[in-house]
Amino acid sequence: MFKKKDIQLAFVILIIAIFALILITLTKEEGATVVITVNGKVSQTFPLNENHTMIIGDESTEYNILEIKDGFVSMTDANCPDKLCVKHNSIHFSHESIVCLPHKVVVEIQGGEESEVDMISN
Amino acid sequence: MRKKIVAMVLISIMLISVNACSIKSNNRYSASFLELFDTVTTIVGYAENKEQFTEYSQMIYEYLDEYNRLFDIYNEYDGINNMKTINDYAGIEPVKVDPIIIDFLLYSKEMYTLTDGKVNIAFGAVLSEWHDHRTEGLNNPDIATLPDMNTLQNNAKHTDIEQLIINEEASTVFLKDPEMSLDVGAIAKGYAVEKVVQKIKDAGFENGTISVGGNVRSFGMKFDSDGNMVPWSIGIQNPDQASLETTLHLLNFSEDSLVTSGIYERYYTVEGKQYHHIIDPETLMPADYYAAISIVCLDSGLADALSTAIFNIPYEKGIALIESLDGVEALWVFKDEKEKYSSGFLSFVK
Repeated sequence: MFKKKDIQLAFVILIIAIFALILITLTKEEGATVVITVNGKVSQTFPLNENHTMIIGDESTEYNILEIKDGFVSMTDANCPDKLCVKHNSIHFSHESIVCLPHKVVVEIQGGEESEVDMISN
Repeated sequence: MRKKIVAMVLISIMLISVNACSIKSNNRYSASFLELFDTVTTIVGYAENKEQFTEYSQMIYEYLDEYNRLFDIYNEYDGINNMKTINDYAGIEPVKVDPIIIDFLLYSKEMYTLTDGKVNIAFGAVLSEWHDHRTEGLNNPDIATLPDMNTLQNNAKHTDIEQLIINEEASTVFLKDPEMSLDVGAIAKGYAVEKVVQKIKDAGFENGTISVGGNVRSFGMKFDSDGNMVPWSIGIQNPDQASLETTLHLLNFSEDSLVTSGIYERYYTVEGKQYHHIIDPETLMPADYYAAISIVCLDSGLADALSTAIFNIPYEKGIALIESLDGVEALWVFKDEKEKYSSGFLSFVK
């Protein structure tokens, strides 16, 4: 039924498809983004794979200091009353977030490596 | 020609199969908001498309918002009588309220009986004292103070739940003791989540997980990267937040709730010592038995109430209560990091 060439063609297509999938997966992980939202509005975005330290807000009023280091994101300091954001474990996987409720700051990772965990009870 | 047809067919089959694998896992969405119950609400789930998920999220927000307003003890809202109204009219007159509040208060009384008074929504007079000192202490850490024990003991005389008079027919609530007040923090979030999940399932949202401040309720299943339906994977927060391990355990969930109470949640520091927000009705001080308690059961309201109750009692009493209840499991994490489980808890662990 199938000619040899048909089968060869099928193989070529299969290999292209596999390469495409690998490429999509790889670029997805490299393209992980740290998205900072303040008061419900996206204020800044940074690549997860570049080390960086920044101030969110204003040092004279409300501030949080965010550090991106070796693919992990943590809040290293803040002047909010409870400092729960500073105590929060560092985050790395897609959809993980650190929230500073008093300052209405959300730091979320998007488009990165998928975590096994869907939700955490604390 | 034939070659072309074969190629076309192959390409289409491949496209279809690639889509079939990812169609469900790609239709996973998430949303979160900070406005409700003074905490973070997160939703994850599967929908046909982003518009449909947004519609579900919007509905969840609106339902939760309604409960948040009704159960609020600190703020007033135009046109509704809520918990604050009931507290404001303590000793004065009955307050006409929404049937949602009546049902909730009846449920809270049930929880009082079930937990032998360890979960008492009429404990507001004591809890408000702690709340004020904690808020003050967080704002001015240098001059943080503990509540005065005499004041706490005096206020504890005004925490009798029998003085909470519910008139179902007239839909009114009256606090007979003018010095008493309601604080629904130990039950309200879990209760609201449970009610909202029932409503959102009726609206067609089949597979999702909602967390309101760590009160987690799952329904349906999730889809793995191959498109297979598998249980949700829910983590229990490691009480040691400096640890690189964010979670202590991962649980397989489908139609289940998980609520955790821990000493790391809401606390303040007085002279170097941490004081958390779960107050033991006997000692009137933060309960000192454990680092964290997790409860697993179907109903999120029950899980919320039990996590507070179990936190407030010694292990022997706690395990006896848990084992006497059908479909309820618990995890005790002690301050030295040792753990104990109820008989069926490990069957949830991945």
